[in-house]
Amino acid sequence: MRPTFLAFQTASRALSASQALIDVTGNNIANVNTNGYTRQRVDLASISNSGYTQKYTVPGATVGLGVNVTGIGQIRDPFLDARYRAQASESAQYDTLLKGLSDLEGVFDEVETQGLQAEISNFINQLQTLSQTPSSKDIALVARTAAQKVTQILNVYSKQTEQVREQQIYDLSKIVVDTDFNTLVKNIAELNTQIRNELTHGNEPNELYDQRNILVDKLSGIVNIKVTTTPEKISEDLTIENLTISIYDTKGGSSIGIVSNGLYNTLDASLDSDNKMTIEINSSFGGYNGDITTKFSGGSIKGYLDLINGEGTYAAPGENAFRGTLYYGHAIDTFAANFAKVLNDLNVDPADGTTVLPLFTDESGGTTSITAGNIRISAAWMNESTHIVTTTVNPPAGGGDNVLRMISALGSDMSFRRDPADPASPVMFEGTVNEYMTGLIGELALDVELNQNFSNTASTVLNNLYASRESMSGVALDEEGINLMAYQKSYNAAARYFTVLDEAVDKIINGMGLVGR
Amino acid sequence: MRITNKMITTKYIRSLNTLSSDLDKLNTQIASGRAFSKASENTSAAVKAFQIRRDLSKTEGYQANIAHAQSSLTNSESALMHIEELMQEAKVKILVGNTVTSSVDERKIVATELRSIQNQLFQTLNSQASDVYYFGGSNTDNQPFTLDTNGKLAYNGESLWQLDPVVDELTIKGLKEDSMYVDIGLGLRMNGTDVDRSSVFQYSIPGINIVGSGSTTLADGTEVSNNLYDLLGQIAASLESGTYTYDMVDQLSAKLSESSKEVIYKLTEVGSKTSYLDFMTDRFDTRTLDLQENQVNVEGADPARTIIKFKSQEVAYSAALQMGTKIIQPSIFDFMS
Repeated sequence: MRPTFLAFQTASRALSASQALIDVTGNNIANVNTNGYTRQRVDLASISNSGYTQKYTVPGATVGLGVNVTGIGQIRDPFLDARYRAQASESAQYDTLLKGLSDLEGVFDEVETQGLQAEISNFINQLQTLSQTPSSKDIALVARTAAQKVTQILNVYSKQTEQVREQQIYDLSKIVVDTDFNTLVKNIAELNTQIRNELTHGNEPNELYDQRNILVDKLSGIVNIKVTTTPEKISEDLTIENLTISIYDTKGGSSIGIVSNGLYNTLDASLDSDNKMTIEINSSFGGYNGDITTKFSGGSIKGYLDLINGEGTYAAPGENAFRGTLYYGHAIDTFAANFAKVLNDLNVDPADGTTVLPLFTDESGGTTSITAGNIRISAAWMNESTHIVTTTVNPPAGGGDNVLRMISALGSDMSFRRDPADPASPVMFEGTVNEYMTGLIGELALDVELNQNFSNTASTVLNNLYASRESMSGVALDEEGINLMAYQKSYNAAARYFTVLDEAVDKIINGMGLVGR
Repeated sequence: MRITNKMITTKYIRSLNTLSSDLDKLNTQIASGRAFSKASENTSAAVKAFQIRRDLSKTEGYQANIAHAQSSLTNSESALMHIEELMQEAKVKILVGNTVTSSVDERKIVATELRSIQNQLFQTLNSQASDVYYFGGSNTDNQPFTLDTNGKLAYNGESLWQLDPVVDELTIKGLKEDSMYVDIGLGLRMNGTDVDRSSVFQYSIPGINIVGSGSTTLADGTEVSNNLYDLLGQIAASLESGTYTYDMVDQLSAKLSESSKEVIYKLTEVGSKTSYLDFMTDRFDTRTLDLQENQVNVEGADPARTIIKFKSQEVAYSAALQMGTKIIQPSIFDFMS
């Protein structure tokens, strides 16, 4: 026998299911512009009344008992998330490199400005003028001023390169590591705890998931991460998933945990005694502790590390060989040291032909440790413009042979040694002084161009992945509108069904047994 | 693929950004007239541009040197012409004074006139332009021609009449070759540590080459200087002397004519040097023009092409804007009743 009011429950459930569908649709529409919102879906299941309890009933056809709202789920693809995050870390790495290298290019670029190359050319021309009237004091003064401009520009380049580096150091240690990274892992760990609490109470914390996903996406732009979930059995019928995030280096294969459920590890960036950037991990769990600088293979941290620590061809084996700020700093130091040496060596006292009368020194007057930052006109030349030896004839006549020697030296190929005083030290460049600078600027421009291309490619792929993810999880208003109309119809139908049941019962109560009345 | 509203707006904003940044790039090109404003925008062109600038600057330096050499040569030329005139004048005087019939007084007058010419020669040889002696070789600061204790002509401290072509060969060679030179783009080279003279341009005439050096012993055993100044003095002395003979002065006069030929040779040399410099000036002018043209080709933005590009970019931009208003607005909600 069928209970009289059985179908009332079915109708009531149908009504509330439609209501839930409409509510979720409304929620989707409301969040059409919410960042990181994942479109939600009502999980429905039909109810049957079959089971053990009816074992001894009279067999016959059984009717289903309608619908049950089992939960509200999210439409999301974890595979797309993983791909998106891997790409985000690559894209962020190139963006960071591009930004830093563009800053460096701003220092060295001489396309629109009168830079070092123009000043060297000018210096050579002033030497030409000096060779016309070598004994003229005022022209020697002009030549000295031109040389001074070369040293001043070198000072500026050195200082600005250092400033770019300091900016990168500040950005990495104070903003990216201290603020962004450390806050993110902490927040993610806190969300993990909250989500765990909700889940153990049997709730579906969709909004918390969205929040956490936004944070994990952000984190993936900072470091190369791998996100894993591990199931945990709470009770017989409840298993929840715990989230673990680690810095994962695909090449080295190392995996350093940074978030595990409610625990998190923070990073600490600082300069070591070698003036190199070191990143250390403060572990509250996991086996790693201390220096993990080499474990980064993506994300903006990797970009910053390359910019700050990269020494290019100056790097010792095992060191960062990216052409970063240190490389360009070393490169102009090499330039300054070699430029000073070639001219100093030519400026010998005509009285004995061997005593070097330095034209360029460092700030303390020495000639062995000249860098772009400390190169200046020697005190002797500063005092007396004719300190520059114009002729090696002794006693000096009015010839300009030594000036031409200098012009020739500046115009001919020379070996730029890492340490110009040591003939065994490696040759960094072979060519004229101007070619050295052209080469350096060209190298930098090519690096910028290359990273621009990398960055473009990476962000195109990232945009495609974003679109794929949006296509999966985003809210389409057309779709929601159609659903809304359909759910309205189903709601109406359920209400009508209720009316039918109501009328049927009404018939029994008020219409039955009134024959002939 | 589901197309969601956010996808459309994100993509739309992104492409608008791309379009407007391209527009901005073209605008900068038009405003600055440059094809690129950073080396990374076109690295190979930038490197080429640096080379062209370097060559331009070098050419500028060479041209300044040529101008300097030219003005110095012009000075030398006029001084040499003056010396040449003095020699002509001296020869005429000697012809007048050295006749069988000339009286002692007449010879004395000629001798005085010759001494005056001698004096002018001395001054001309020590000519200066902007504080530089241009007949002194590399000695530009001190008066190159002086008189030694015997009252004879000395060049850079060496008494000319004493220089023996055999004994003092190296000294003479040194003095004759010691001149001022500049780099005019002949490919400056070093010969060991010395400047390779064939790779530079020597623009000054060492005075020793003009006046001559050494001395000659005449048939009667008289020793005479080969240089113009001393010769003039000796002729004047002979004319005045009590032991004057026509033959003696005639021989000296012949010697003077011979020595003064050098002046003409040097004038010719100066002429050919000047015309060589003219040729080089022309060459560098052409080179500068070529380089400037190259520079415009490499660094400059072609205005016509850039503006056409700009216009078509503008069309694309406004088309995108118009399309955007159509694409973002409607959804099914606009048609639901």
